[in-house]
Amino acid sequence: MKAPGQLSHKRFDWMLRLIVGTAFVVAAALKIADPAKFAMDVSHYRLVPPAMLNLVAILVPWIEFTTGALVLAGIWLRAAALVVTNLTAMFFGIIVSALARGLNIECGCFGTLGGNHVGLVNLAIDSGLFSLAALLARRSGNRPAQPFFAESGAHYLRLPPPEGLKPR
Amino acid sequence: MNPRLNTLLQALVILLVGAALGLAANAVSPRGLPLLAPEPAAAPEEFIPLKRAKELWHDGRTLFLDAREPEDYAAGHIGNALNLPAQSFAQHFGEIAPLLTPASVLVLYCDGNECELSHRLRESLRPLGYTNTYLLFNGWSAWRQAGLPATMTDKQ
Repeated sequence: MKAPGQLSHKRFDWMLRLIVGTAFVVAAALKIADPAKFAMDVSHYRLVPPAMLNLVAILVPWIEFTTGALVLAGIWLRAAALVVTNLTAMFFGIIVSALARGLNIECGCFGTLGGNHVGLVNLAIDSGLFSLAALLARRSGNRPAQPFFAESGAHYLRLPPPEGLKPR
Repeated sequence: MNPRLNTLLQALVILLVGAALGLAANAVSPRGLPLLAPEPAAAPEEFIPLKRAKELWHDGRTLFLDAREPEDYAAGHIGNALNLPAQSFAQHFGEIAPLLTPASVLVLYCDGNECELSHRLRESLRPLGYTNTYLLFNGWSAWRQAGLPATMTDKQ
């Protein structure tokens, strides 16, 4: 019998997926809704050449969305969690660099969540997501290796060969 | 297949699918952006005449930046102009930055025939990508003497 309050591994994994996946999907949706605003937010960090701002504003939110959706769905979980880990590590470096340069700008991370200006709250949220995603990647890595595409359910589509084509 | 290689391949596919979705959504979205942002216009003439500055001010899309010290700005400045002191640029830029994009058209001014502050402000903004800047010679005095919209304190 389980001790009160003790979570099963499966339920714990599910909660990790829900938090990380939802955070990424919501963050992406806010950026996708107004790409021009996100491009402006990115420009304020002064790290991306002006000509590349739009491309970053177009690609990054959809990569976030795809990754978050895969985490929520539990498809290619370890790979998706690793992408989240790398993205949050990159965001952490960008926020630290903005703070070090004294930039008083909007984070552009989760709309106005965490305040109107980039700061320690944004760093804390990013660190939390990084830790949860790293934990998720580690825990999903303990499972037996799955062949490429297997986790997506694509292997269910493999049909047996027709009778006439069976090897002799 | 090696499990690590398998995971790396999956991560690569996730990045590529996300990027492809982004490009596709941008192509069909009414709020889509051009893939490459247009380069800022070539550096304009160093000074613009007062008449042109007036047109830009009435246009409403141009930001006027006062390069003088806060006390001078507080005493009187061009209407709707913001203060970005050239002598303490790093300290004050963060307050103005959220209002700027690399495409922003900026008119920089100070006061007096030998004032260097607007030049210095321009040199501070240029490396940050804000190159679409105009200078208004003898800015505050010329603007005030022409009777154009200004914000004055009671003392003046």
